[in-house]
Amino acid sequence: MSKAVAAQPASSLSRLWHKWRFHINILLLLVPLGFMPKYFADASLFRGDSGLGERDIGTVQVGPWSLQLAELRNEAPRPDGPAGYMKSFNAALCDTCIDQVKAAYLRIGKPRSLRAAGVIFFGTPYRMGATLPIPERTKADAELWITLEGWDGSMHQASIPLSQASPTTVAWLTKQGGKP
Amino acid sequence: MSSRLFKQPALAAGLFALIGFCGQALAHNPMCECKAVEDGQIRCTGGFSDGSGAPGVTLDVIGYDETILVPGKLGADSTMTFKRPDSEFYVLFDAGPGHIVEIDQADIEAP
Repeated sequence: MSKAVAAQPASSLSRLWHKWRFHINILLLLVPLGFMPKYFADASLFRGDSGLGERDIGTVQVGPWSLQLAELRNEAPRPDGPAGYMKSFNAALCDTCIDQVKAAYLRIGKPRSLRAAGVIFFGTPYRMGATLPIPERTKADAELWITLEGWDGSMHQASIPLSQASPTTVAWLTKQGGKP
Repeated sequence: MSSRLFKQPALAAGLFALIGFCGQALAHNPMCECKAVEDGQIRCTGGFSDGSGAPGVTLDVIGYDETILVPGKLGADSTMTFKRPDSEFYVLFDAGPGHIVEIDQADIEAP
């Protein structure tokens, strides 16, 4: 077979690629290793192996019931497009109140009514989650209100300072300058 | 196209890395916005943060004394227009228990 077409002189980039492509591909295989610590930390967090959330808030007594609260992420609220900034909390009902509590709600500021009790917790009572919108004009001394609704129709409420529930959120609000 | 892609592992890896960066959980939180329009009317638009609309969702105008001043539902275009009540009020976009948005009268933008 005659070589009628003269070989094109290879560009320096092409030569570099052909010389190092094997090593570069080995490096590519190493890239996922860098993400592994975060991956395993997240897997453990969502499986519940590392507790209810990244930061435990403690047990809150709500009338005859109590629940354990935690911040899912120990970080400032995350933006969710036009819906504004969101902060996720996890909760676990006390063992004796699991059968009695129908729903749990979370809101910044005292709810006006049960209908407007805030965001609802969903999931198993041993590990429920709620994503709370944080208005940018929230004051740093705001309170987080927990509303529990019982199957018997009763309603109980309790509040904790936002600074206790999420110091990172308060720091974020202060940095924002507490928009009016 | 795809065969060419796999001949360029760096390019393919780059694309897969981009897919990994596609952001956080795709939630659909309720949202609602109210604006004062002409003739003392207020128009509220509801929806969800995943971009979907909210036709037929309940939107009530409630007084500070918890009486329902204007009971209503959002129209096919996810909006509802009502006359501004004389007394103090707030707007409650109610897509079900725990899926609500409250808008106080003080937060309704003037035209």
